[in-house]
Amino acid sequence: MFVIVNGQTHPLPEPQTLAALLSQLSPAAPFAVARNAEVIPRGTYEECHIEPGDRIDIVHPAAGG
Amino acid sequence: MEAPKIEDRLTLYKENFASRLLLGTGRYDSPSVLADAIRAAAPAMLTLSVRRQISGSSYAGQSFWNFVRETGHAILPNTAGCFTARDAIATACMAREMFQTNLIKLEVIGDEVNLQPDPYGLVEAAAELVRRGFQVLPYCTEDWVLCRRLMDAGCEVLMPWAAPIGTGQGPRNPRALRELRERAPEVPLIVDAGLGLPSHACQVMEWGFDGVLLNTAISRALDPVRMAGAFASAVRAGRAAFLAGPMAVQDAAVPSTPELGRPFATDSLRLPYQRAI
Repeated sequence: MFVIVNGQTHPLPEPQTLAALLSQLSPAAPFAVARNAEVIPRGTYEECHIEPGDRIDIVHPAAGG
Repeated sequence: MEAPKIEDRLTLYKENFASRLLLGTGRYDSPSVLADAIRAAAPAMLTLSVRRQISGSSYAGQSFWNFVRETGHAILPNTAGCFTARDAIATACMAREMFQTNLIKLEVIGDEVNLQPDPYGLVEAAAELVRRGFQVLPYCTEDWVLCRRLMDAGCEVLMPWAAPIGTGQGPRNPRALRELRERAPEVPLIVDAGLGLPSHACQVMEWGFDGVLLNTAISRALDPVRMAGAFASAVRAGRAAFLAGPMAVQDAAVPSTPELGRPFATDSLRLPYQRAI
Protein backbone atom coordinates (compact mmCIF):
# COMPACT_ATOMS: atom_id res chain seq x y z
CA MET A 1 0.00 0.00 0.00
CA PHE A 2 1.04 3.61 -0.39
CA VAL A 3 0.56 6.68 1.68
CA ILE A 4 1.69 10.21 0.91
CA VAL A 5 4.10 11.68 3.42
CA ASN A 6 4.85 15.37 3.01
CA GLY A 7 3.70 15.23 -0.58
CA GLN A 8 5.86 12.22 -1.50
CA THR A 9 4.58 8.72 -2.12
CA HIS A 10 5.70 6.38 0.63
CA PRO A 11 5.26 2.61 0.43
CA LEU A 12 3.94 0.75 3.43
CA PRO A 13 4.15 -3.06 3.42
CA GLU A 14 1.03 -3.37 5.54
CA PRO A 15 -1.49 -1.24 7.41
CA GLN A 16 -0.02 0.15 10.60
CA THR A 17 -0.46 2.78 13.25
CA LEU A 18 0.84 6.30 12.94
CA ALA A 19 3.18 5.49 15.85
CA ALA A 20 4.78 2.70 13.81
CA LEU A 21 5.14 4.93 10.77
CA LEU A 22 6.76 7.68 12.83
CA SER A 23 9.19 5.25 14.42
CA GLN A 24 10.33 4.34 10.89
CA LEU A 25 10.61 7.97 9.77
CA SER A 26 12.15 9.21 13.04
CA PRO A 27 11.27 12.90 12.72
CA ALA A 28 13.34 15.12 15.00
CA ALA A 29 11.45 16.79 17.82
CA PRO A 30 9.64 19.05 18.01
CA PHE A 31 7.17 18.05 15.32
CA ALA A 32 3.44 17.79 14.76
CA VAL A 33 1.47 15.44 12.54
CA ALA A 34 -1.70 15.76 10.51
CA ARG A 35 -3.52 12.93 8.77
CA ASN A 36 -5.71 14.08 5.88
CA ALA A 37 -5.43 17.66 7.20
CA GLU A 38 -6.60 16.67 10.70
CA VAL A 39 -4.06 17.16 13.46
CA ILE A 40 -3.31 14.01 15.40
CA PRO A 41 -2.55 14.93 19.03
CA ARG A 42 0.66 13.62 20.52
CA GLY A 43 -0.17 10.72 22.76
CA THR A 44 -2.77 9.28 20.35
CA TYR A 45 -0.36 8.10 17.66
CA GLU A 46 -0.85 4.45 18.72
CA GLU A 47 -4.61 4.74 18.23
CA CYS A 48 -4.35 6.33 14.78
CA HIS A 49 -4.53 3.74 12.01
CA ILE A 50 -3.11 4.60 8.62
CA GLU A 51 -5.25 3.79 5.57
CA PRO A 52 -4.03 3.43 1.97
CA GLY A 53 -3.84 6.80 0.27
CA ASP A 54 -3.71 8.78 3.53
CA ARG A 55 -1.94 12.11 3.33
CA ILE A 56 0.41 12.53 6.26
CA ASP A 57 2.02 15.90 7.01
CA ILE A 58 4.89 16.04 9.48
CA VAL A 59 5.89 19.61 10.31
CA HIS A 60 8.54 21.33 12.37
CA PRO A 61 9.34 24.90 13.44
CA ALA A 62 10.65 27.13 10.67
CA ALA A 63 11.51 30.76 10.14
CA GLY A 64 8.79 33.16 9.08
CA GLY A 65 7.28 36.62 9.42
CA MET B 1 3.33 61.71 47.89
CA GLU B 2 5.03 60.54 44.68
CA ALA B 3 2.73 59.76 41.78
CA PRO B 4 2.69 56.06 40.93
CA LYS B 5 4.98 55.16 38.06
CA ILE B 6 2.87 54.20 35.08
CA GLU B 7 4.66 51.87 32.74
CA ASP B 8 3.68 52.09 29.11
CA ARG B 9 3.31 48.45 28.16
CA LEU B 10 1.91 46.67 25.16
CA THR B 11 -0.79 44.28 26.34
CA LEU B 12 -1.84 41.42 24.10
CA TYR B 13 -4.25 38.86 25.53
CA LYS B 14 -3.29 39.85 29.07
CA GLU B 15 0.46 39.49 28.46
CA ASN B 16 2.46 42.69 28.95
CA PHE B 17 5.50 43.64 26.91
CA ALA B 18 7.96 46.50 27.23
CA SER B 19 8.70 46.50 23.50
CA ARG B 20 6.15 47.39 20.84
CA LEU B 21 8.11 45.77 18.05
CA LEU B 22 7.28 42.24 16.93
CA LEU B 23 9.92 40.62 14.77
CA GLY B 24 9.67 38.06 12.00
CA THR B 25 12.45 35.53 11.61
CA GLY B 26 12.33 34.91 7.86
CA ARG B 27 14.66 35.82 4.98
CA TYR B 28 17.85 36.39 6.95
CA ASP B 29 21.15 35.54 5.32
CA SER B 30 22.31 33.48 8.27
CA PRO B 31 21.35 32.46 11.80
CA SER B 32 24.05 34.71 13.23
CA VAL B 33 22.64 37.77 11.45
CA LEU B 34 19.19 36.84 12.76
CA ALA B 35 20.58 36.49 16.28
CA ASP B 36 22.28 39.89 16.13
CA ALA B 37 19.17 41.52 14.67
CA ILE B 38 17.05 40.09 17.47
CA ARG B 39 19.44 41.55 20.04
CA ALA B 40 19.36 44.95 18.32
CA ALA B 41 15.57 44.99 17.92
CA ALA B 42 14.79 43.71 21.42
CA PRO B 43 11.32 42.62 20.27
CA ALA B 44 8.25 41.75 22.28
CA MET B 45 7.75 38.55 20.33
CA LEU B 46 9.27 36.52 17.53
CA THR B 47 7.10 35.06 14.80
CA LEU B 48 7.85 31.74 13.23
CA SER B 49 6.15 29.28 10.96
CA VAL B 50 5.28 25.62 10.62
CA ARG B 51 6.72 23.74 7.67
CA ARG B 52 7.05 20.18 6.46
CA GLN B 53 10.15 18.30 7.43
CA ILE B 54 12.24 17.72 4.32
CA SER B 55 14.03 14.38 4.36
CA GLY B 56 17.73 14.83 4.92
CA SER B 57 17.27 17.97 6.97
CA SER B 58 15.35 16.61 9.89
CA TYR B 59 17.55 18.46 12.35
CA ALA B 60 17.12 21.88 10.75
CA GLY B 61 13.85 22.45 12.55
CA GLN B 62 15.28 21.22 15.82
CA SER B 63 18.30 23.55 15.68
CA PHE B 64 16.15 26.51 14.65
CA TRP B 65 13.77 25.80 17.53
CA ASN B 66 16.66 25.54 19.99
CA PHE B 67 18.02 28.83 18.69
CA VAL B 68 14.66 30.57 19.07
CA ARG B 69 14.11 29.22 22.57
CA GLU B 70 17.56 30.36 23.66
CA THR B 71 16.67 33.96 22.80
CA GLY B 72 14.09 33.81 25.59
CA HIS B 73 11.54 35.81 23.62
CA ALA B 74 7.84 34.99 23.46
CA ILE B 75 6.80 33.06 20.37
CA LEU B 76 4.01 33.90 17.96
CA PRO B 77 3.46 31.11 15.41
CA ASN B 78 1.89 32.04 12.09
CA THR B 79 -0.24 30.31 9.46
CA ALA B 80 1.74 31.81 6.59
CA GLY B 81 1.10 30.26 3.20
CA CYS B 82 -2.43 29.09 3.99
CA PHE B 83 -4.98 29.88 1.30
CA THR B 84 -7.99 28.28 2.92
CA ALA B 85 -9.59 28.49 6.33
CA ARG B 86 -9.24 24.72 6.63
CA ASP B 87 -5.49 24.79 6.08
CA ALA B 88 -5.07 27.74 8.44
CA ILE B 89 -7.05 25.98 11.19
CA ALA B 90 -5.04 22.78 10.78
CA THR B 91 -1.76 24.73 10.73
CA ALA B 92 -2.74 26.61 13.87
CA CYS B 93 -3.54 23.33 15.61
CA MET B 94 -0.18 21.89 14.63
CA ALA B 95 1.53 25.06 15.86
CA ARG B 96 -0.22 24.78 19.21
CA GLU B 97 0.75 21.13 19.45
CA MET B 98 4.42 22.00 18.91
CA PHE B 99 4.85 25.35 20.60
CA GLN B 100 2.41 24.93 23.48
CA THR B 101 0.89 28.37 23.01
CA ASN B 102 -2.65 29.45 22.22
CA LEU B 103 -1.39 32.53 20.42
CA ILE B 104 -1.62 32.41 16.66
CA LYS B 105 -0.91 34.98 13.98
CA LEU B 106 -3.69 34.03 11.60
CA GLU B 107 -3.03 34.42 7.88
CA VAL B 108 -5.51 33.28 5.27
CA ILE B 109 -4.21 34.54 1.95
CA GLY B 110 -6.47 35.33 -0.98
CA ASP B 111 -4.01 36.05 -3.81
CA GLU B 112 -0.67 34.53 -4.71
CA VAL B 113 0.64 37.76 -6.24
CA ASN B 114 -0.09 40.37 -3.60
CA LEU B 115 -0.57 37.94 -0.69
CA GLN B 116 -3.46 40.00 0.57
CA PRO B 117 -5.72 38.56 3.24
CA ASP B 118 -8.81 36.64 2.10
CA PRO B 119 -11.38 38.36 4.28
CA TYR B 120 -13.96 35.57 4.04
CA GLY B 121 -11.57 32.74 4.90
CA LEU B 122 -9.98 34.89 7.58
CA VAL B 123 -13.23 35.50 9.46
CA GLU B 124 -14.24 31.83 9.11
CA ALA B 125 -10.90 30.61 10.44
CA ALA B 126 -10.80 33.20 13.22
CA ALA B 127 -14.24 32.21 14.49
CA GLU B 128 -13.36 28.51 14.54
CA LEU B 129 -9.98 29.06 16.20
CA VAL B 130 -11.50 31.29 18.88
CA ARG B 131 -14.07 28.57 19.47
CA ARG B 132 -11.17 26.12 19.97
CA GLY B 133 -9.54 28.35 22.56
CA PHE B 134 -6.94 30.11 20.45
CA GLN B 135 -5.88 33.70 21.03
CA VAL B 136 -6.01 34.99 17.49
CA LEU B 137 -4.02 37.87 16.04
CA PRO B 138 -5.41 38.14 12.51
CA TYR B 139 -3.39 39.60 9.68
CA CYS B 140 -6.07 41.74 8.02
CA THR B 141 -6.55 44.87 5.98
CA GLU B 142 -7.65 48.29 7.22
CA ASP B 143 -11.22 47.55 6.06
CA TRP B 144 -13.43 48.57 8.98
CA VAL B 145 -16.21 46.09 8.30
CA LEU B 146 -13.70 43.22 8.09
CA CYS B 147 -12.20 44.37 11.38
CA ARG B 148 -15.64 44.46 12.99
CA ARG B 149 -16.36 40.94 11.78
CA LEU B 150 -13.05 39.74 13.23
CA MET B 151 -13.83 41.36 16.57
CA ASP B 152 -17.33 39.88 16.52
CA ALA B 153 -15.68 36.49 15.94
CA GLY B 154 -13.68 36.96 19.14
CA CYS B 155 -10.39 38.50 18.04
CA GLU B 156 -9.12 40.83 20.74
CA VAL B 157 -6.16 42.09 18.69
CA LEU B 158 -6.05 43.14 15.04
CA MET B 159 -3.04 43.34 12.74
CA PRO B 160 -3.89 45.51 9.72
CA TRP B 161 -1.40 45.73 6.90
CA ALA B 162 0.41 48.87 5.83
CA ALA B 163 1.07 47.42 2.36
CA PRO B 164 1.53 43.95 0.82
CA ILE B 165 3.95 41.64 2.58
CA GLY B 166 7.59 42.23 1.78
CA THR B 167 7.03 45.36 -0.35
CA GLY B 168 8.49 47.95 2.02
CA GLN B 169 6.10 50.53 0.57
CA GLY B 170 4.94 51.91 3.88
CA PRO B 171 1.31 52.76 4.66
CA ARG B 172 -0.63 52.71 1.38
CA ASN B 173 -3.84 54.01 2.87
CA PRO B 174 -3.01 56.33 5.78
CA ARG B 175 -6.51 57.76 6.01
CA ALA B 176 -8.13 54.36 6.34
CA LEU B 177 -5.57 53.19 8.88
CA ARG B 178 -6.14 56.31 10.99
CA GLU B 179 -9.87 55.89 10.70
CA LEU B 180 -9.54 52.32 11.94
CA ARG B 181 -7.58 53.61 14.92
CA GLU B 182 -10.35 56.11 15.68
CA ARG B 183 -13.14 53.56 15.34
CA ALA B 184 -11.46 50.96 17.56
CA PRO B 185 -9.72 53.01 20.25
CA GLU B 186 -9.59 50.23 22.83
CA VAL B 187 -8.41 47.34 20.62
CA PRO B 188 -4.68 46.62 20.38
CA LEU B 189 -3.77 47.35 16.76
CA ILE B 190 -0.43 46.13 15.42
CA VAL B 191 0.53 47.31 11.93
CA ASP B 192 1.85 44.22 10.19
CA ALA B 193 3.32 43.91 6.67
CA GLY B 194 4.64 46.30 4.11
CA LEU B 195 6.66 48.62 6.30
CA GLY B 196 10.07 49.48 4.84
CA LEU B 197 11.61 52.34 6.76
CA PRO B 198 11.86 53.28 10.41
CA SER B 199 9.97 56.47 9.53
CA HIS B 200 7.00 54.29 8.49
CA ALA B 201 7.04 52.59 11.85
CA CYS B 202 7.46 55.89 13.66
CA GLN B 203 4.55 57.35 11.72
CA VAL B 204 2.05 54.63 12.59
CA MET B 205 3.12 54.77 16.23
CA GLU B 206 2.55 58.53 16.19
CA TRP B 207 -0.96 57.82 14.91
CA GLY B 208 -1.59 55.80 18.03
CA PHE B 209 -1.10 52.26 16.81
CA ASP B 210 -0.01 49.90 19.56
CA GLY B 211 2.89 48.21 17.78
CA VAL B 212 4.38 47.05 14.54
CA LEU B 213 5.40 43.69 13.13
CA LEU B 214 8.44 43.75 10.87
CA ASN B 215 10.34 41.16 8.92
CA THR B 216 11.60 42.01 5.44
CA ALA B 217 12.29 45.65 6.32
CA ILE B 218 15.01 44.39 8.63
CA SER B 219 16.09 41.07 7.13
CA ARG B 220 16.57 42.46 3.62
CA ALA B 221 18.23 45.71 4.62
CA LEU B 222 21.89 45.94 3.61
CA ASP B 223 22.79 45.98 7.29
CA PRO B 224 19.97 44.15 9.07
CA VAL B 225 21.47 44.57 12.53
CA ARG B 226 21.83 48.34 12.20
CA MET B 227 18.36 48.54 10.69
CA ALA B 228 16.91 46.53 13.57
CA GLY B 229 18.33 49.10 15.97
CA ALA B 230 16.95 51.92 13.85
CA PHE B 231 13.48 50.41 13.88
CA ALA B 232 13.60 49.86 17.63
CA SER B 233 14.44 53.54 18.11
CA ALA B 234 11.74 54.60 15.65
CA VAL B 235 9.05 52.61 17.42
CA ARG B 236 10.04 54.11 20.77
CA ALA B 237 10.15 57.61 19.28
CA GLY B 238 6.77 57.29 17.65
CA ARG B 239 5.20 55.97 20.82
CA ALA B 240 6.76 58.72 22.93
CA ALA B 241 5.50 61.32 20.46
CA PHE B 242 1.99 59.91 20.63
CA LEU B 243 2.02 59.97 24.44
CA ALA B 244 3.53 63.47 24.46
CA GLY B 245 0.57 64.86 22.54
CA PRO B 246 1.82 66.55 19.39
CA MET B 247 1.17 70.23 18.78
CA ALA B 248 -1.93 71.19 16.84
CA VAL B 249 -1.25 71.80 13.17
CA GLN B 250 -1.77 75.49 12.27
CA ASP B 251 -2.80 77.06 9.00
CA ALA B 252 -0.99 80.30 9.60
CA ALA B 253 2.56 80.89 10.79
CA VAL B 254 3.10 81.66 14.47
CA PRO B 255 6.56 82.96 15.34
CA SER B 256 8.44 81.00 17.91
CA THR B 257 10.64 83.99 18.78
CA PRO B 258 9.00 86.81 20.78
CA GLU B 259 8.11 89.94 18.86
CA LEU B 260 8.85 92.23 21.80
CA GLY B 261 12.31 93.75 21.73
CA ARG B 262 13.16 93.14 18.10
CA PRO B 263 16.19 95.25 17.29
CA PHE B 264 15.70 97.95 14.67
CA ALA B 265 11.91 97.58 14.85
CA THR B 266 10.06 100.73 13.86
CA ASP B 267 6.55 99.36 13.34
CA SER B 268 3.85 99.39 15.97
CA LEU B 269 3.29 96.39 18.18
CA ARG B 270 -0.42 96.83 17.75
CA LEU B 271 -1.10 94.13 15.27
CA PRO B 272 -4.40 93.25 13.56
CA TYR B 273 -4.42 89.84 15.24
CA GLN B 274 -3.40 88.59 18.66
CA ARG B 275 0.13 87.38 19.07
CA ALA B 276 1.84 85.84 22.05
CA ILE B 277 4.86 87.95 23.03
